This record gives sequence, structure tokens and C-alpha cells, in this order.
Amino acid sequence: MRRLSIYGALIILTLISVVPFLWMLATSFKHGSDIYTKVPQLLPLDKETGEWAGTLENYSYVMEIGGLGQAFLNSVWITLVLVPAKLLVDALAAYAFARIPFPGRDKIFVLLLGGMMVPTITLLIPRIHVTQALGMFDSPWGLIVPNIASVIDIFLLRQFFLSIPKELEEAALIDGGGRMQIFWRVILPLSKPVLAVVTITSFLFHWNDLVWPLVVLNDPELYTLPLALQQLVASPDGGRAYYIMAGATLAVIPVIVVLLIFQRRILAGIAFTGLKA
Amino acid sequence: MSSTPVVAGRRRRRSAPGRRRDHVIAWLLIAPALVYFVVFLLYPALSALYYSFTDWNLRTTASWVGFQNYVDLFTDEVKYPHFWKSVQVTLQYTIIAVPLTLGTALIQALLINAIKRGSNLFRLLLFLPVVTAEAAVGAIWRWLYDPRYGLINSVLEVFGIPGQNWLNTPELVIPALAFISAWQCGIAMIIFLAGLKGIPGSILEAATIDGANAFQRFRKVVMPMLRPTTFYLLVTGVIAALQVFGLVYVIFSGAGRSVTGGPEQSGLAYVLHLYLFAFRYDAMGAACAMSFILLVFIMIITAVQFKFVKQEAA
Repeated sequence: MRRLSIYGALIILTLISVVPFLWMLATSFKHGSDIYTKVPQLLPLDKETGEWAGTLENYSYVMEIGGLGQAFLNSVWITLVLVPAKLLVDALAAYAFARIPFPGRDKIFVLLLGGMMVPTITLLIPRIHVTQALGMFDSPWGLIVPNIASVIDIFLLRQFFLSIPKELEEAALIDGGGRMQIFWRVILPLSKPVLAVVTITSFLFHWNDLVWPLVVLNDPELYTLPLALQQLVASPDGGRAYYIMAGATLAVIPVIVVLLIFQRRILAGIAFTGLKA
Repeated sequence: MSSTPVVAGRRRRRSAPGRRRDHVIAWLLIAPALVYFVVFLLYPALSALYYSFTDWNLRTTASWVGFQNYVDLFTDEVKYPHFWKSVQVTLQYTIIAVPLTLGTALIQALLINAIKRGSNLFRLLLFLPVVTAEAAVGAIWRWLYDPRYGLINSVLEVFGIPGQNWLNTPELVIPALAFISAWQCGIAMIIFLAGLKGIPGSILEAATIDGANAFQRFRKVVMPMLRPTTFYLLVTGVIAALQVFGLVYVIFSGAGRSVTGGPEQSGLAYVLHLYLFAFRYDAMGAACAMSFILLVFIMIITAVQFKFVKQEAA
């Protein structure tokens, strides 16, 4: 009985969490007039015959006329370049901070950590001007270069590298291996869990990010998916929920796929990093 | 830690040229991150502080005005008519959204912790809203809250509750936004769950043997042991809530790039207000000042929270 009520409560809470997505999906397949019903109807079924009457027209509309097809591709290639590049920059720095003694190392590291305290909004305006000064405003590079490293990721990677037993590297050092060989052959292969967490959280962050593309891009051809979706919401089509929900579905599906594939790593990772909130 | 055997230290010591080569390698390795740090973190932080003391927009160069921006923001109701409103909205939002979100997360975590079968599936499904882009979340909830055809009103009507115009009624805007925040409580849920798993079963068993019922066990054992977790979530939750922006921006998106603060500025979050002054009214200096007021406020709130907890522990 007790167990039944626990499952009952969980099922209700889970429905609250999931139904908005199902509603989004259902709306995205409906013909214009069909969404405006007094009694909500989940599936796009024909009113008379009860047969499937879904459509993909909303998708082709938002992808072609709404520009979300181009935006999807932009988002894909920018995250594909940015996430690995950022991981490399962060991992190299983290390795030096964890393992190579050099004068001033710990002071520099503490300074870096201090930078984490500053809210993003405080940095936003000057960052735009730096991006302009570098000639990267309103260009894909303006999305990549200003995000090329992350202090919190360096911190996480460094903590993990520190936990790797030094003896493993010393063996390689004595065998005449250089620092970089140790990094590639010893450190990275042993760090797969933390590399996965950092990669996934940074993918989610940049795939979903709205604010930076919003302030740095003007050219609609360059829009990323969240920005194009926001612009669609703000356009005269914004009142047409079937279009908006098709657009939202395009933004949501890739992250759901990533969540399903990497669920264990993501959920375990959040328990100790708290995501990048 | 510093007392590692001297012999081992000797053995590890590398020759002088080797050390020098190490220094060069180390600097090369941190160089890209360091350049990023200086160019996109340190310099922006310092220049934002500098610009907060200037009158600055896109057409003119910055001119030093001392504390004028700060004074005007606090006192000049003609220049900044909605500054205090935005402070009020943000505080209200924080006070409602953070407890609601943490409470929902705790309930979810307690329930999941109490079951064995299917706990992974529930965890995963409850986590879905977290990984969803703000733009999509805003778009989805605009549709759910739709006054005529929205699912929320349809569901309420089933229970005999009249539908509301959620996003267009000033009193309902903050509760509506807070509900979305609670809907996205998955991170807090996962962290609570990790905290719950950390409570030794033997303590709970002992309490049960002593005759404590489930509620007593929760109050006397579980809650005290979850205190560090709750505190961490409270601090990070407050910091995030004070900076709420993307969601409100999408929810209240108007034509083109325009955005409103909702009906009667009822959804004019502090950062949205800041954004409007920076990018619509072209008052960059004032916007920088606003961002530093927020920075200081966040630091004070965090310090107070720490102190409060310390006192309670003492």
C-alpha cells in the first residue's frame, strides 16, 4: 500500500515533467486549425474518422521559411568545433596546473578561480567590445573564440588529474617519455570519466546557449538554433503554436538523444559537479 | 603532506635543464587558457568596473562621471523608472522560485530513494526539463500557458478551476515563472539524491528501532544530515534566480528583437532590465553599474547565508 502510493506520487510528478514535451511533439504534427480545440486532444487524429492526420508541413515551414534548418546546421558545426577545442585547451592547462611545477603556478590558479565568481552578465558588455575589437563580431568565430576555455572545467579536470597516482607517470618518465607523451598516453586514457562529463556538459551548455549568440550575431544566416527559435517566437508566426512547437522539437531532440545515450555519465557527473549552474 | 620522504624527493628531482624545459612546456600548455582568461575574463571584469563610473554609449566615448550612475539608479526615478521595480520582481521571484524548486526536488529525491524498481527511469524522465534549451522551455510554456487553448487551463477546468491569462496578469506572472523553475528542478533532485544515498542505513535503522516513525526519521535524522546539501543548493539556487534572464527574455519576446518586461513590468527581471539599458536604450555605463550592484548584492547574500548557517551550527 505504502509502496503503491510512492509509485503513484512519482508517476504524477513524472507526468508533469514529461507531458509538456509530449504536448510539444503532438502540437508540432498538427494542422493549423486542429490545435485550437476546446478539449485538448493529444494525438493529431482526424475528427471524423479518428485516423492519423499528422503532418510534417510545420517542420518544413520552420526549417525553410523560419530559417531553422540553416540554424540547426550552424549549431551542429559550431558545437562540433567548439566543444573539442575547448576540451583540449582546458585539459592542457589542467595538466600543467596539476602536474608540472613552475614558479607562480598556484597563484595563477587561484586568480583563475577568482574569475569564476564574476557573474556572466557583468562580463557580457565588455566581452562584446573585445569581440568587436578582434573583428569577430557577427561571425561564427565570435561564438567560438570567446568561449574557448572554461575555468570551472579546468578546475574539474585538474582535480581529477591530481587523483591519478604519480607512480604511473614516473614509470613513463624514467622510460624517457616526455611530458606530452605522458599527457596523451597516461593521463588522458585514465581520465575518460571526467572528460566525458566535461564534454557532455559543455555540449549541453553551448547547444542550448541563447544569450551570447543573441548579443553577438546580427546576420540571420549565422543564427544558432536557440536564437532562431527565439526569433521565430518573436516573429508574426509566434502566435502559431504548431510552428513554434516544431521549432522547439528540433532544439530538444538532439539533447534528449544525448541524455539517453550518456544518462549514466551525466547523472553521475552532476552529483559531484552540480552542472555549471 | 610536505613530509614526503626526502629520498623520494631526490629521486624525483630532475636536472636543471630538464626543469627549465618543464617551465617552458608548462607555460605553453596554459598559454591558450591564460590568454582567454586575460582577454575574456580579467579585462572585461575590470573594464566593466571602469565603465560603471562613466557615461558611455555606442555613439560617444566614455566620460568619467564618478558615482553618478550608481546614485541615479537608486534615486532618479525619471531616468530609471523601473529600476526598483526590477529589484522587487527579482527578489519576489527568488523568494518564491527557490523554495518551490528545492521543495519539489527534495520530494522527488525522497520518493526515488524509497523505491528500487524503475528508479533510473524516473530519474531520467524527471531530469529531461533540465537539459532543454531556455529558448525551447520559453516557447513550450508560452503555449502551455496560452489563455484560450493552453493545456494548463484545460487541465484546471477539468478540476473546475477557471482558466487564467497567466502571462498577462501581473499577479500571476511570478508564480507562473516560479512554476517553470520548479519544473526544471532536476539538478537539485540529483544532488539531493546523492545526499540521501550518503546517509548511512544503520542510523535510520537505529532510529526505527528506537520507535521513530517515518516523519520523525525525516525530521530528526534525514533533514539534519542533508543540511550541507540543502545549503549548497540554496546558495547556488539564489545566485541563479537573481540572474534569471533567458527564460524571461523568451517568454516576453515581442516583435523583432524587442522584449517587454511583461504586463506592468511584472516580469521585469533585474538582468532583463539591465539588458534593455545596455542594448535598447544604449546606456552601457549605467548597465555596467547595474551589473556591479548585482555582483555586490550576490556577494552580500552569499556571505549572509554562510554566516547564518555557521551561527546555526554553533
